[in-house]
Amino acid sequence: MNIIKRLTSLLTVIFGVLLLTFLLIHLVPGDPVDVMLGESANMADREALRADLGLDQPLVKQFGSYLAKLAQGDLGKSIHTQTPIIDLIQARYPATLKLALLSLLIGIVVGVPLGIFAALKAGHWQDFIVTIVSVRLSAMPAFWLGPVLMLIFAVWLGWLPVSGMDSGSSIILPAVTLGFGLSAILTRMTRTSLLEVLNDDYIRTARAKGLSEQTVILRHALRAALLPIITIVGLQMGSLLAGTVITETIFSWDGVGRLLVESIEKRDYPVTQACVLIVALSYVLVNLATDVLYRLADPRVRHA
Amino acid sequence: MKFTSYSILAFWLIAVLLGNVLQLNPNAIDLKVILQSPTAQHWFGADDLGRDILARVLSGVEVSFLVALIVTGVTMTIGVLVGLLAGFYGGRVDAVLMQITDIFLAFPGILLAIAFAAVLGPGLGNLIMALCLTGWVSYARLTRGQTLSLRHRQHVQAAESLGAGVPRLLFRHILPLLASILVVEATYSLASVMIAEASLSFLGLGIQAPDASWGAMLRDAVRYMLIAPHYVLIVGGCLMSLILAINLGGDYLRDALDVRKPD
Repeated sequence: MNIIKRLTSLLTVIFGVLLLTFLLIHLVPGDPVDVMLGESANMADREALRADLGLDQPLVKQFGSYLAKLAQGDLGKSIHTQTPIIDLIQARYPATLKLALLSLLIGIVVGVPLGIFAALKAGHWQDFIVTIVSVRLSAMPAFWLGPVLMLIFAVWLGWLPVSGMDSGSSIILPAVTLGFGLSAILTRMTRTSLLEVLNDDYIRTARAKGLSEQTVILRHALRAALLPIITIVGLQMGSLLAGTVITETIFSWDGVGRLLVESIEKRDYPVTQACVLIVALSYVLVNLATDVLYRLADPRVRHA
Repeated sequence: MKFTSYSILAFWLIAVLLGNVLQLNPNAIDLKVILQSPTAQHWFGADDLGRDILARVLSGVEVSFLVALIVTGVTMTIGVLVGLLAGFYGGRVDAVLMQITDIFLAFPGILLAIAFAAVLGPGLGNLIMALCLTGWVSYARLTRGQTLSLRHRQHVQAAESLGAGVPRLLFRHILPLLASILVVEATYSLASVMIAEASLSFLGLGIQAPDASWGAMLRDAVRYMLIAPHYVLIVGGCLMSLILAINLGGDYLRDALDVRKPD
């Protein structure tokens, strides 16, 4: 697939994401200004907000000015605090990024070795246990796993803080909650793709050369097995990013996800809109990066 | 394992019926038993308003099934139609339809459903609408991929050359071959819709008080976790057992129908 085609489709997707998030506010049943300000607001405030959001303009013009403002890094203002939304996002985004990256790391560090272990023990009871556990636990939603971990490690054992972000160890429980599903999926993927590769001719050649089992697995087999793993990590980044919404809420972690939930509770729709947009755009970028990495990692794709 | 899966599923189906037959009152408040641990009278204990958790779990599972069935039915119908058309016509129709699904896929996980539910406002109807608006995409992708290859099968070409119209080709010659893969996909999606419903309710976007839903119960349970850990453990355990049973059921269905799971 050539680069121009890829770029066009990427730009179309970004345009679509912008359009869809822009239209969100128009899905509010009735008058969005009424919903946001409540019944008791006076006429002047209503008109001011309506003009501020540009809701008195024709739809196409509204979208045009939405894009124009966005290009200047202007995401609008919060209805409740009047703070520019870009400032809110800038304050919260690093926390979400930190949480997502640590979960990703946990997912990889736990998932890949477990997958290798299961593949090497394929057919034995160890493999059976790892597979059952990883298949079943990957379906465990964060709003159940989070509280259980909190109960065990924060309340009963008292090893870690319950919630908040006051100490350095506060990130551990939310990151484990978030990274758990990913590690389970990675375990399965690593096992499957390693098993596929292990029967290939070049692995037999490598063994026949007298290479140590460690070199055969780590240098030869794992390298080829990495490709599907990269794809899965990229795809799973999406659920990781979406997962921050619930995980951050459970653990009072002040990131974009929690900002989103707070804005929904306060009906601060411009903030809701901006959070959704930022998370979606992050995901689009991650997917692009995955694609590039994939090309770098696989000579067959690179030279195709 | 197979037996366990089916018996858990059967258990919850019976529970739905039982909840109706016994006419339990999930909203009856008894202030004397607030946050009480399980007892002979209240098998699952009581919640923060002294309501019987068992009765609320039974009423909540009904909501879970209802939402899962409606959303799966609607999203499958829309997604399959979109996928059939895209895969059958190819070219520009395919390009446009797939571009639209790509845009929906650019929103990770249930983020878009959260956004839709947020602006539509809380409530069961809006929750179902939000999940339907976002859930059809995976069916569209799956169906399109299959249709692309089935379209060139000989029996389809033969029917076409005998003068069969497009609807006949799609629904009599292509769709039946997709049935097993769609049934398996729908089973898994029952479970994921249940999780999505619970997530949205957990965020306060689903059914409103005093009606019971597992997500909303978990939201309350987390709040009282320090004094009444049984609440969160029981409700979460119920949810997990149901999800597990449905997913296991999907696995067996997949093996029985000989469908490769599309990853």
